[in-house]
Amino acid sequence: MLDMTNRPSGLANSPATIASVRDLTVHFPSKRGMVHAVDRVSFEIRDGETLGLVGETGCGKSVTGRSFLQLLPIPPGILAQGTVTFHPHARCGACAGTGCDACNSTGRRPAACPSCTGAGCAQCNGSGAETVELLRLPEDRIRRIRGDRIAMIFQDPGKALNPTLTIGDQLSEVFLQHRTEELLDAAGIGPEDRGLAARLLGRLASQRNGSIDNLLLSLPPLRGKRNLLLDALRNNVAAALAETQIANPYQIIDRYPHELSGGMRQRVMIAQALACNPDLLIADEPTTALDVTVQARILELIKDLQKRRQTSVLYISHDLSLVRRICDRVAVMYAGRVVEIGRTDRIFRNPSHPYTRGLLHAVPTAATKRGQLMAIKGTVPELVDPPPSCRFVGRCPHEKALCRSKNPELAQISDEHSVSCFIHDAAGAADAPSFDEKTQ
Amino acid sequence: MQLRDYVIRRLLVLPFLIIGVSMIVFALTRVGGSPIGIYLSHEMTPAQVAEIEARFHLDKSLPVQYFYWARGVLQGDFGWSGVSVAPVAEVFPKKLAATLELSVASGIVAVVMGLWLGTYAGARRNRPADHITRVVAVTGASMPNFWLAILLLIIFWAQLGWMPIGRSTPEIIALVPTRTGLYTIDALLAGNLVAFGDALWHLILPAITLGYGATAIIARMMRSALVEELQLDYVDAARAKGLPERLVLKKHARRNALIPTVTVIGLTFGFLLQGTVSVEIIFRWPGIGKWMADSVLRGDQATLMTYVLFTSIVFLVLNLIVDVIYANLDRRVELGK
Ligand SMILES: Nc1ncnc2c1ncn2[C@@H]1O[C@H](COP(=O)(O)OP(=O)(O)OP(=O)(O)O)[C@@H](O)[C@H]1O
Ligand code: SF4
Ligand SMILES: [Mg+2]
Ligand SMILES: [Zn+2]
Ligand SMILES: [Zn+2]
Repeated sequence: MLDMTNRPSGLANSPATIASVRDLTVHFPSKRGMVHAVDRVSFEIRDGETLGLVGETGCGKSVTGRSFLQLLPIPPGILAQGTVTFHPHARCGACAGTGCDACNSTGRRPAACPSCTGAGCAQCNGSGAETVELLRLPEDRIRRIRGDRIAMIFQDPGKALNPTLTIGDQLSEVFLQHRTEELLDAAGIGPEDRGLAARLLGRLASQRNGSIDNLLLSLPPLRGKRNLLLDALRNNVAAALAETQIANPYQIIDRYPHELSGGMRQRVMIAQALACNPDLLIADEPTTALDVTVQARILELIKDLQKRRQTSVLYISHDLSLVRRICDRVAVMYAGRVVEIGRTDRIFRNPSHPYTRGLLHAVPTAATKRGQLMAIKGTVPELVDPPPSCRFVGRCPHEKALCRSKNPELAQISDEHSVSCFIHDAAGAADAPSFDEKTQ
Repeated sequence: MQLRDYVIRRLLVLPFLIIGVSMIVFALTRVGGSPIGIYLSHEMTPAQVAEIEARFHLDKSLPVQYFYWARGVLQGDFGWSGVSVAPVAEVFPKKLAATLELSVASGIVAVVMGLWLGTYAGARRNRPADHITRVVAVTGASMPNFWLAILLLIIFWAQLGWMPIGRSTPEIIALVPTRTGLYTIDALLAGNLVAFGDALWHLILPAITLGYGATAIIARMMRSALVEELQLDYVDAARAKGLPERLVLKKHARRNALIPTVTVIGLTFGFLLQGTVSVEIIFRWPGIGKWMADSVLRGDQATLMTYVLFTSIVFLVLNLIVDVIYANLDRRVELGK
């Protein structure tokens, strides 16, 4: 594992975290009241790590993951409170992106805070790194982060690709949105050019072209430059596809999604997500919809790409064994809350929340359905206007009166390991629950 | 199969379909009664009647009669219109031009307005704009067009006197040489803007009346298709790539929502042609609709057969066009299956 606490950087106090979620709370109004789908969720993602977010279906994993890109279903959802802060990275100045000691061979370093240029000020909490508040970013700014600095892979690649556009068309869009200057450069247009050719090609390279532009660009004087630009685009797309070990990228480009297998489609999604070398990748159950054999290969691919590029990953899954294979740290969610978070080895060696223990003891069998891993008795509680209490009440074997009247806070129990349960929180108190005592 | 091969194959089949349709048209019309009723009068002698019967080959079997009729059609002889007291082939193009101008104009109104309204409402689901469009659409789909026609006439022609009735002002259109028979196009070709304005002015009310129902249907279809598309994962995936909302709508959701809508558009065009009957009568539009109504009432079979044959061919061709557009939009469509 990387040494997270002491990263070399030119900034005053380079943050080890790339993003942090604080008190994220999302409600959904329903006929019977307010559904507390995500309830004061807090965690941080460290630079270069893979953080697993596990929990049963409906516990709020996707809502949490989508908040990073402002893709929350609002409305109907309501963002009751919380912040998601993000530290974008920029190309390393020392090595121009090829990788050196100063940037830990990633070619990228935390971008400097625009108001203090890295010296450290109040706005960046003295860290000197650029700090972006994702949830409240205006549309045009979040748009520039989406797909470029933070990318997302969805659960079902069959649904996340547009069925009527070719693979090439869909991947091109990422470059057209975020790599316009480079495409223009390939066509021989510099940033200072203001002529008709530069204007028309500029519109083409940023998806602002209309049919008249297309007509003009297809005529001889501009045609050559347009073709240079389109060739560069095609090569970029093919290179992105090749990264995901697709053998014949130039043939895939002109295919439609329905002509590819599920595994191939997910490779395309991954290629699309990693095309701009993002700082953070949100992978929302990327293998759940795939065959078991394909799952393993996609998982290896994500792991491999993450290692090579040092991308930070939020890996959402309901499958603990899977998370164990690729995550540095794990956050366990239950009914809209994070109940346990810590280093993977610690959590698996010493699960410290009754829910996590239940999960680990519940070995999935052939009869277990997708998205479901419970052999814990009872079902996930209704989240409609819940009273202050531990959410695991009713299913917990160690539950006491205290658990029904108060909400246990997430508290550190050892280095790199936090749990929200009165067993640790109120340890020693007379009415505190304990692992030694079975109450149900 | 390649799109081009598919189109060629469909075009090769087209003539056979048309022959089949023409047989049905002929047979059904003959079932409806003798074709010569309209030419007979009480003063005729039996010999004169027999002569007319011979002219129509009524003494021969039905297939032979069909053969004579079909041969005439191929030679451009569609028979004699008793209603117009002129050869059908001579009157039909003029009437058709008037109807075509009206239905194409209302078709353009319906497609442009329908797609725009549907997209606007679908992208603003459950907001005031959506509710307003719903009202427009529901009234459009449920209001009979003769009723709307009368309403508009009462307000804009009778009360306010802003809008004219008929197809044109005779003195103005008389100065325009006839090329296509479509007054607006002819006026433009002649560079006569006054005549163009006049033709357009006359066209507006009937085109809106005729197109309103189709606008409503297209708008509703487009709206529900768009709402459905916008809930799919690929829309969020497009947003996650950094696409502005405008492109998410235009390049992704709207394009896919057009696929089911195109089929509906094809159908409504066919109905536009039918809907012309009442609109033409009310607005005194000298087109096929009014002519047909008279022909039905008076048993003018030559005219009727020509009309039905023509409409059937229009439907067949529209169908082909819809299929081609459909396949172009949705590459998953397996052509020829
Ligand atoms: N669009 C929505 N409308 C209403 N409620 C929603 C919506 N999206 C999510 N929710 C609520 O939020 C809860 C959490 O949903 P979320 O999709 O985050 O679950 P998840 O942990 O990703 O589950 P899964 O494993 O099934 O993907 C759901 O139980 C549901 O009650
Ligand atoms: S012991 Fe109490 S606080 Fe801990 S998980 Fe069980 S119910 Fe919740
Ligand atoms: Mg989910
Ligand atoms: Zn470097
Ligand atoms: Zn600062």
